[in-house]
Amino acid sequence: MSVISVSNLKKYYRVYQKEPGLAGSVKSLFHRKYEDVKAVNDISFSINEGELVGFIGPNGAGKTTTLKVLSGLLYPTAGEVKVLGFTPFDRKTAFQKQFSLVMGQKNQLWWDLPALDSFLLNKEIYEIPGPQFESTLEQLVDMLDLKEFLKVQVRKLSLGQRMKCELAASLLHSPKVLFLDEPTIGLDVVMQKKIRDFLKDYNQKFQATIILTSHYMDDVKELCSRVIIIDKGQIFFDGRLDQIIKKYADHKTLEVVFEGPIEKKDFQVIPDAKITDYSPPRVVFAVKRQLANQVAAKLLTKFRVADLNITESSIEDIIREVFTGRDLS
Amino acid sequence: MKKYWLIFRLSWQNALTYRLNFVMWRVRSIIGFLASYLFWLAIVNSNQNIAGYNPSLLLTYIFLSGLLRNLVISNVSYTACMEIANGDLSNYLIKPLGYFKYWLTRDLADKALNLSFFAPEIIALYYLLRPAIVLPQTSFQTASFFIISLLAALIYFFLSFLVSTYAFWHPEHNGWPFRFLFIMLLEVLSGSSIPLDIFPQALMKIFQISPFSYLIFYPNQIWLGRLDTNQIINVYLMTFFWLIVFYGLFRFVWQKGIKNYSAYGR
Repeated sequence: MSVISVSNLKKYYRVYQKEPGLAGSVKSLFHRKYEDVKAVNDISFSINEGELVGFIGPNGAGKTTTLKVLSGLLYPTAGEVKVLGFTPFDRKTAFQKQFSLVMGQKNQLWWDLPALDSFLLNKEIYEIPGPQFESTLEQLVDMLDLKEFLKVQVRKLSLGQRMKCELAASLLHSPKVLFLDEPTIGLDVVMQKKIRDFLKDYNQKFQATIILTSHYMDDVKELCSRVIIIDKGQIFFDGRLDQIIKKYADHKTLEVVFEGPIEKKDFQVIPDAKITDYSPPRVVFAVKRQLANQVAAKLLTKFRVADLNITESSIEDIIREVFTGRDLS
Repeated sequence: MKKYWLIFRLSWQNALTYRLNFVMWRVRSIIGFLASYLFWLAIVNSNQNIAGYNPSLLLTYIFLSGLLRNLVISNVSYTACMEIANGDLSNYLIKPLGYFKYWLTRDLADKALNLSFFAPEIIALYYLLRPAIVLPQTSFQTASFFIISLLAALIYFFLSFLVSTYAFWHPEHNGWPFRFLFIMLLEVLSGSSIPLDIFPQALMKIFQISPFSYLIFYPNQIWLGRLDTNQIINVYLMTFFWLIVFYGLFRFVWQKGIKNYSAYGR
C-alpha cells in the first residue's frame, strides 16, 4: 500500500533577473525580466508504509521543494500528489494530524519560553488526549535525553539541544509520515549519531514512513535502504542504497605526495591504482574500496612517500558520477 | 477552542518574560500620550475655541485617543508579514491551526494586556493632570462608543493583515516598505493625535470616506457627543461597510498569496 504517491510533479518559481551593477538596478526599477525556475520538473515516485527513503542531490536540486509540496506548503505547478490519500495543499485537519515536517533551520518552538510550553501547545493544537501525550512525551524525553532541557528557555539552549526539542515537538502527535529536511545540519558528530539512532528507532517502533534529505552521506548510509537522487529538478536514480554504493561509490581516493622524482609509468607496477590527477609531486589515485589498504601499503614500500591520504568518495562525487555515468575504478 | 485559550495565556507569558523590555514599552506609551497632551494643553491655554472644540472637549479627545490606540491600533499581528517573508509561516501551515485565529488570539491577548496596564496609568495621569473630562450624555452614545470601537479593532485587524499579505509578492525587507507607508497614513488619517474636523472642509470630505477615520476619530466623536443619532447610524453603516470590504478583500488576497507562497529561507 503506497502512502505517498507523486506523479509528474512540477513546481516552477518565477524569479526576476537583474543585470549586475547599479545601472542594472536602476534599469530593473522600470523593466523586469522574469524567468521560470524549474525547481521540480516532472518527477514521479511512490513510497510504501514504513519505508525510510533518503533524498539526495546537490544544493538547489529540488529536494526541499518536493518536501514542501508533500507537506502542502507549496501549490504544485502541475502533477498529482497524494499523501495518506489526501491532497496535501487542501491542508485538511485529518491529514495534518498524521504527518510532520522538520526543517533543520526552522524554529517552531516559542523562542522566549521553555520548550515544554511549546509541547503543551502542540498537545492542544493536535488535540492529543492527555494520557497519550504523557506517555509519548515520556518516551521522547527518554529517547532524546531531554529531561534537563524541558524547562529552560529555548533561546538558551544549544543548537543540538534545540534541534532535539524541535524533533520532539514534531513527533508528539505520533505522525505516521515524517519529512525531515537536513535534520542533522550544523550538529556535531555525536549529536548526529544520536539523532540518527533515534530516527531509526522511531521508524521501526511505529512503522512510520520517513523521507529524509541530507548532505551527510552517513545519515543516508545508516538510515535509508532506498535513495532517490534528484538533480536539476529530475530524478536520476531511485533504488536500493547498496546498489548505488556498489555501483558508484566502490572506490576510495588516495592522495599521495612523493619525495624525489617520479614518472607516470612508474606506477604501472600497481595496476589497481588508477591515476585521476597527475601533478607531481602530488598524484591522486582511484582505487577499489577493498584494495585501498593494499595499494597504500605497496605505494609506501615501493616509493618514497611524504604524505598519503585515503578518503571516501563524497556524496557529491557519487552524485556527479551518477550524472556523468563515469565509473572511475 | 482550548488551543486558542492556551495561545492567549502563552502570549501573556511571552510578553512578561522580559521585565525591562516590558517597563520600557509602558514608559514609551506614556511619553507618547504626554507629548500629545501637553502640546494640546499649550494650545488650548491660549485659544479657548479651536474649530468648535473647547479645552475640555479637546483634552478628552486626547485621553480617548490614548485609550483607542491601545484598544484598536496596538497589535502584534503585524509580525505576520515577517513570517510570510522569511518563511516562518510554514510552521503554522503544516499544523491543524487557523493562522488568522492564531493571530487574532494573540492580538486579543496583547490588547487585554495593554489595557490592563493602561487603565491604572490613565487613572494616575488623570489625577496628575486633572483635565475636565467630558462624559457621554446618553447610554446610546456610551454603548455605540464601545461597539464601534470593537468593530474598529476588527477592521484594523483585517486591514493590517491585508497589508501583511504584500509580503507574499514582495518579501524584500520583510514587507516593511508597505507597512511604513501604512503606519504613516494611519497616524495622519485616523486622527489619533489631531482631531480631523479642525482641518478644512474639503479635506474632511476625504477623511470621511477613508476607512482610517473610523478607527479613532469617529468613536471619539460619538463619546464626545459631537454626532447626532443620524450621524451615529451613519458611522455604524460605514463601519460595517469597511469591515465587510476588508474581510472580503483580505480573504481574496490571502487565497491568491498562499498559492504564490514559496516558503522561502530553505
